[in-house]
Amino acid sequence: MNFNKVFHVAKWEFLEKVKTKAFIISMILTPAIIIGFTVVPTLLSNQEPKAPKVVGLLDPSGNYFKGLDTALSKYKLPDGQPNYILINLFGNNATGINAERDSADKDVISGKVEGYLFINKNKNDSVSVEYRSKTIGNFNDLQKFNDAFNTVRIQRKLKAENINPALMSFISNKVDIKQIKIEASGKTSNADFLSTFFSSFIFIMLLFMMIIYSGQMLVRSLVEEKASRLIEILVSSCSPEELLAGKILGLSSLGFFQLIIWALIAVALLGAALIPLNAFQNIGMMLVYFVLGFIFYTALFVGIGSISTTEQEAQQITSYLSMILILPVVLISAAIQNPHSVLLKVLTYIPFTTPTTMLIRLNLSEIPWGVLAATTLIMLVSIFILIKIASKIFRIGILSYGKRPSLKELRQWIVSK
Amino acid sequence: MLVGENLIKEFNKVVAVNDISFKVDEGKIFGLLGPNGAGKTTTIRMILNIIKPSSGKIIFDGQVINDEFFNIIGYLPEERGLYQKSRVMDVIMYFAELKNMSRSSALKQADYWLRKFEVSHYRTRKMQELSKGNQQKIQFICAIIHNPKLLILDEPFSGFDPINQQEVKDTIMSLVDSGKIIILSTHQMETAERLCSEIFLINKGKEVCSGSLGQLKKRFGGNNVKIEFDGDGSFMKDLSFVKNIDNYKNYAEVQLVDNFLPAEFLKAVIDKIQVNQFSVVEPTLNKIFIDVVKEIQE
Repeated sequence: MNFNKVFHVAKWEFLEKVKTKAFIISMILTPAIIIGFTVVPTLLSNQEPKAPKVVGLLDPSGNYFKGLDTALSKYKLPDGQPNYILINLFGNNATGINAERDSADKDVISGKVEGYLFINKNKNDSVSVEYRSKTIGNFNDLQKFNDAFNTVRIQRKLKAENINPALMSFISNKVDIKQIKIEASGKTSNADFLSTFFSSFIFIMLLFMMIIYSGQMLVRSLVEEKASRLIEILVSSCSPEELLAGKILGLSSLGFFQLIIWALIAVALLGAALIPLNAFQNIGMMLVYFVLGFIFYTALFVGIGSISTTEQEAQQITSYLSMILILPVVLISAAIQNPHSVLLKVLTYIPFTTPTTMLIRLNLSEIPWGVLAATTLIMLVSIFILIKIASKIFRIGILSYGKRPSLKELRQWIVSK
Repeated sequence: MLVGENLIKEFNKVVAVNDISFKVDEGKIFGLLGPNGAGKTTTIRMILNIIKPSSGKIIFDGQVINDEFFNIIGYLPEERGLYQKSRVMDVIMYFAELKNMSRSSALKQADYWLRKFEVSHYRTRKMQELSKGNQQKIQFICAIIHNPKLLILDEPFSGFDPINQQEVKDTIMSLVDSGKIIILSTHQMETAERLCSEIFLINKGKEVCSGSLGQLKKRFGGNNVKIEFDGDGSFMKDLSFVKNIDNYKNYAEVQLVDNFLPAEFLKAVIDKIQVNQFSVVEPTLNKIFIDVVKEIQE
């Protein structure tokens, strides 16, 4: 193999594509879309309310107003105003509780209150609480009401039983359980579902985008060169293997170039917020599977690109193949809940899904080195075989025009010397 | 010297090229002719080292061709096309550098040829902005920029206007004069007749005939005369020594039986019609081609 020629092909593919409008647009547009899809909704839902919310209380027992008022008044807006103003909607109960509720409902409709808490005493001395408002779904508010009500309720009961105030505060304090991942090496790390999910997810999505992007570029350039017969001039200037290696090198560099730019944008926008992602603890092995997966799929795309005669045809097959790649993503949440599932283990050893599955598993628990070695070996062997087959198909496919070869013909191409 | 020895190429038990051999010297144009599907493209691809022969070998200057061969070969395929979205100079430089030219000498040569073909003002334009003819010029430049020792031209004149055809022909001739080997594949028999010193006619994968134009004409020439006349010439077809006749009322092309002298033919007809012009004709390559190919098909 003449690396000088490989380099020239790679340089050409890189420079010609990097200059295209499509590349420049996708380089800017993709981060813009990602920001649009992730950052904007987060901003919207996290937006702090600007004015206090007036919340009503309909409590026939009259026992909860003071406690709830105190509990809710500890939530403040950024400017120091209280977040909630609690007002009592309960009258004298002259007309019965149903009428009281109807009148409180009217206050909600008329906008006098945002909503109100309806504390209803049941027959067996338990209580049920409703928050009645025009819109449902403000998760944050409901969480606070929930906490406040339960704290008050327990405190009331404890007080009634004459419990020591110190014990009271002990009982009403809740302890959150933190998850710590233990690794054999003695290291421990904080991990929760979300950060595990995103650490794997980011890498899989990057792999997916790079494969789709570079793969489709590769297929498109092959189909174009085939259609214009340029391929014949190219293979009379260098061997098909050199051409193939050059194309893969050039277009992967293009993909990595784009990734680096996106990474820089991400760092610029998010900065230190990225560091807690525990993906960076296994970055070495993650990169190994990333690169192996990339080469595997690129080789696969080459085989397909060289037998396709039109771009549409090529795109159809490549998009189906890409689906296989992200299949494990569908299973990711199930996998996090049960890292030892049989399905996950099976997918680990199928070359099509090995990279993605390993990208997930690496973040879940420490992988025995035997599994690492076996999967890496599987990938290397299948890449070797695939490249052999792909370059055979490439060698003949690029010179065949007209109809797509049948499976039988493909087999003959592969066995021909 | 380029030598092909007993070349055979099979695809899935279909024999595309069946045992052909040839030899081309420096400074010669070798015409590879044949009907569509005869095996020309397969032969060219074997010479280009794009596909390997099933058996037999191709030898250039005493060496079986290998990957080093890529750098001394130039190829203009029949169907043209270039990177439409790329700039003229970039495309030329890509192909030149792929042929192992240094950047500086590639730039110098590109400049020379662009000027020669009067397209140097397009160098920074995108390919798709050029007319079809100008794109063809660029492609021709790409095929010859690295000064190849062996040049394979498939229908080099198609798509050019007469002025540019002349330009391309002059360039080809100057390459021949400087000792290149040129393989020319074409369906334009007149072009082949004027340019090629050696002809190789291939049909159904087999060599039909080969040799210099003179040898071919002698071998397949037959015995033809051309006659312009006034009067009723219909009797001529019944003459015993007339093998075949194309009669156009006042003009006829006549094939005489072998070894019958044209002068005897003239004597036999001169009393019956008024002869305005009479000449002995050599068969055109076109006629040889048609006759030979037809003969095989029958």
